[in-house]
Amino acid sequence: MKKNILQAYKQAPWRVQLQYIGLFLLGLVLVSAIMGVYLSISSQAATTGRRIQALENNMDEINNEIAALTTTLAEKTAIKVMQTKAEAMGFRTMDVNRALYLEIPGINPNADLVLAPPRVNVLVEAPILREAYRTTLWDWFIEQIRFASTGFSQDDQEVSP
Amino acid sequence: MNPPFYRRYIIITIICTILATAVVIQMIRINYTPYAKDLIAVSANYQGIQTTIIPPRGTIYDRSGHILATNKIGYEVAIDLKFVSDPESIASAVADHINTVDYATAFEIANKEKMESDENRYFVIASYVSEEKITALEELKETYKAKRIETNSAFPNLNGLAWTPMQQRAYPEGSLGANVLGFYNYFSRESAQGVHGVEEAYNHLLTGLPQKVFLPNDPNLVETLPEIEPGSDLVLTIDREIQMMLEETLTEAIAWSGAENGTIIVADPETGEILGMASTPSFDPNHYEEYLNTFPGNTPFNRAIGTTYEPGSVFKVITMGAVFDSGLAEPNTVYNDASGVFWVDGLPIYNWDGGAWGEQTMLGCMQHSLNVCLAHVAVDLLGQDLFYDYLQAFGFGRSTGIDLSGEANFPLRLPSDNQWVKLDLATNSFGQGIAVTPIQMVMAISAIANDGKMMTPHVVKSVVNGEEPIPYTPQVISSPVSSETAHTLTEMLTISLEEEASSALVEGYRIAGKTGTGEIPTEFGYTTNQTNASFVGWGPSDDPKFIVYIWLEKPTISQWGSEVAAPVFHDVVEQLVVLMRIPPDNVRLGSNQ
Repeated sequence: MKKNILQAYKQAPWRVQLQYIGLFLLGLVLVSAIMGVYLSISSQAATTGRRIQALENNMDEINNEIAALTTTLAEKTAIKVMQTKAEAMGFRTMDVNRALYLEIPGINPNADLVLAPPRVNVLVEAPILREAYRTTLWDWFIEQIRFASTGFSQDDQEVSP
Repeated sequence: MNPPFYRRYIIITIICTILATAVVIQMIRINYTPYAKDLIAVSANYQGIQTTIIPPRGTIYDRSGHILATNKIGYEVAIDLKFVSDPESIASAVADHINTVDYATAFEIANKEKMESDENRYFVIASYVSEEKITALEELKETYKAKRIETNSAFPNLNGLAWTPMQQRAYPEGSLGANVLGFYNYFSRESAQGVHGVEEAYNHLLTGLPQKVFLPNDPNLVETLPEIEPGSDLVLTIDREIQMMLEETLTEAIAWSGAENGTIIVADPETGEILGMASTPSFDPNHYEEYLNTFPGNTPFNRAIGTTYEPGSVFKVITMGAVFDSGLAEPNTVYNDASGVFWVDGLPIYNWDGGAWGEQTMLGCMQHSLNVCLAHVAVDLLGQDLFYDYLQAFGFGRSTGIDLSGEANFPLRLPSDNQWVKLDLATNSFGQGIAVTPIQMVMAISAIANDGKMMTPHVVKSVVNGEEPIPYTPQVISSPVSSETAHTLTEMLTISLEEEASSALVEGYRIAGKTGTGEIPTEFGYTTNQTNASFVGWGPSDDPKFIVYIWLEKPTISQWGSEVAAPVFHDVVEQLVVLMRIPPDNVRLGSNQ
C-alpha cells in the first residue's frame, strides 16, 4: 500500500504541490475566520459604544428637560402667581377676627415636612457591555469547554444596554 | 506543472513580498520621522476630550416643600467657523433672536475670512440664552433647510451656528426671600459659587462633587460615566407665606413711616428656627447682575444679620431679665425717680421725655420705658461685673452662629477694655452705646420667650442627601436666665403692653413686647433727631410660638418706636397667627368657644 502511494507521487509530482496549496488554503481560511470573528466583535463593540454615547446624551437631555419642567412648575406655582389666581377666582385673605377654628383629632397642620427623596440617576451596577463583547476568543473557548464538561454555567446576569 | 507557469508564480511572489516589505518599511519610517511626535500629539486631540462633569446644584425648598431655588437650562450660543457658509444669515438670525448681540458683531465673527486668519474657529457669542429663543433658532434652521431644498440653492444657511445646553440657577419665587437665599453667580462658569445667604453658607453642600472624566471618541474605549454625586438639597425653616407677608408688610411700613430701610424677623423661640426674615434693599436673584446697583458700596446684603445698630429700649428686656434672675429686684420693686435724672461720673442721664416719673415699680419702669430707672438697675443693683456677665450669657459680643453668610458682630466693650467708662454701664442698660444686630436681639430675647433657654438661630431645617434627609437638631446655646425669670418677665411685659394700650396689641391674643427708640450716634455724638425705631414681641404669652423683631431705620413720620414700630408689629402678628394657625387664646385655652 505504502509502495503504491510513493509510486503515485513519483509519477505525478503535482500531487505534492496540491497538498501544499491545500494546506496553505486551510491556513488562510482559519486566519480569515479568526479575523472575521474579531471584525464582527469589534464592529458590535463599536456599535454598542456609540449607543452608550447616544444614551448618555439622551440622559443629559432628559435631565435638562426635567430641570426645565421643574422650574416651570415652580414658577407657575409661585406664591405671587397663586395669590393672583386665587384673587381672580374670588378668594380673599381671611380676616383674623372671622376665623373659625375646629379641632380635628389626629391632624397636625404644622407637622414637619417629609420630602420625597431627590431624583437621582440610577446607574445599573452590572456592566452595560455584554459579556460577549468583552470576552476574548480564548476566554470564550475556555468557557465553552467548562460548559461542555459540567453542563452547567452561571446564570446570565447580563443587562442589555 | 510546467516551468514557465512556475516562474510566473515566483515573480508574483517576489512582487508581493517587495510590496509588503515596502509597506512595513514605510510604517516603521513614519513612526521614526521627526514629525512622528507631532503627529502622535495631533492624534491625541482626536482620541477624546477631558471634561469636568459638574453635578446639578442642590435645590432649596421652603419648610413646606415649595421650591425657592433650583436649576434650569440655558444655552451657550457659538459660531463654529469650520461649518459657516452663510455669515449674513447667521448674523441676521442671531441679531433677531439674541438681544445681547447685534448684527455687525455677529457678522464680523461669522465672516469666513476670520477662519483663515485666526487659529480659533469656535466663538462663543452669548451665554445662558433661554430655551424659547433656541427653539426659535432651531425652527428657523429647519425653515432655511426646506427653502434650500425647494430652491435648490446653498442659501440661506445657518450651518456653523451652534448651541450647547448648560444649567443655570433659577429662583422661581423671584425676589421672595432673596436676602436669605443669596444668589449663585453662574455666569462665572468655572469659578461660580454661592454669594451671600444660604447659597454661600451651604455652597459646599449644594455644589456636589464635580469630577473630571475622559470621553473617548473611540467607541471601543467608551465606558459608563462614573457616578457623580449631586449637590444636596436644603429644606429651609422659612415659610414662603410668612416670608411674603413680611416683605409686603415691610414695604408698606417703609412707605408709610418714611424709613430709609427696615428689617423684620419672625422666629420660633422654642427651636431657633427663622420662619421669615425680610430686609431692605432686596432684589431678584434671577438678575443678579443688578447686584451692584441694588447694593452699592458697603450696603449690607441682609440687615437682619449684617448690620449692627444701637437698639435702644428693646434692650431693657435684657437688663430687666438680668436683675430679676439675679434676685436683686422683682416686678414690684420700687424705684423713686424723683428728679428725672441719674448721674454717672458727673454725667446726667435723662428719661426719653426729660421728665421725672416719681415712684415706679419695675413694671412701671418698663411700661414707661424709663432710662433713669434702668440705669439705676444696672449701676446700683447689678453692678458692672454682673451686668456684663449677663450680657455675655445672652450672647452679646459674639456671633449668633446663624447659618447664613455675612453675619456682623460688634465687640462688646467690657470694663476690662481701655475705652470702657462707667457711663457705658448706664447707657448700655437701655440699649445705647452698644451695637447689636437684629438677629442677636432675637436670639437673646428668645431666651425670655423659651423658658430661659437660648437657641441657635438657623434657617436650614434639614439637608437631603441621597435618600436620607438629615434634620437639623435645635441647639441650646445657653440658659442665661431661669425659667421662672423668663415667665415673670414675659408676664410683666404682657401686662405692660396691655396697660399701655399699645398699638402693638392684637385682639384675642396676649402678647409680651417692648418698644425701642435708639438714638443714632454720629462722629460728634447723638446730635441728630434721627432714630432707629424697634419693637420686639412674642406670644402667645402663656406658650410663645413666635418672636417678632421689627427695626425701621430713621423713620420720618415719628421718631418713636411706640408710634412707628409697634403698629407694624400689630400688622405682622395679626397675619402671622392666621398663617401659623394659632387660634385666639380663648379658643386655644378652651375658656370660650
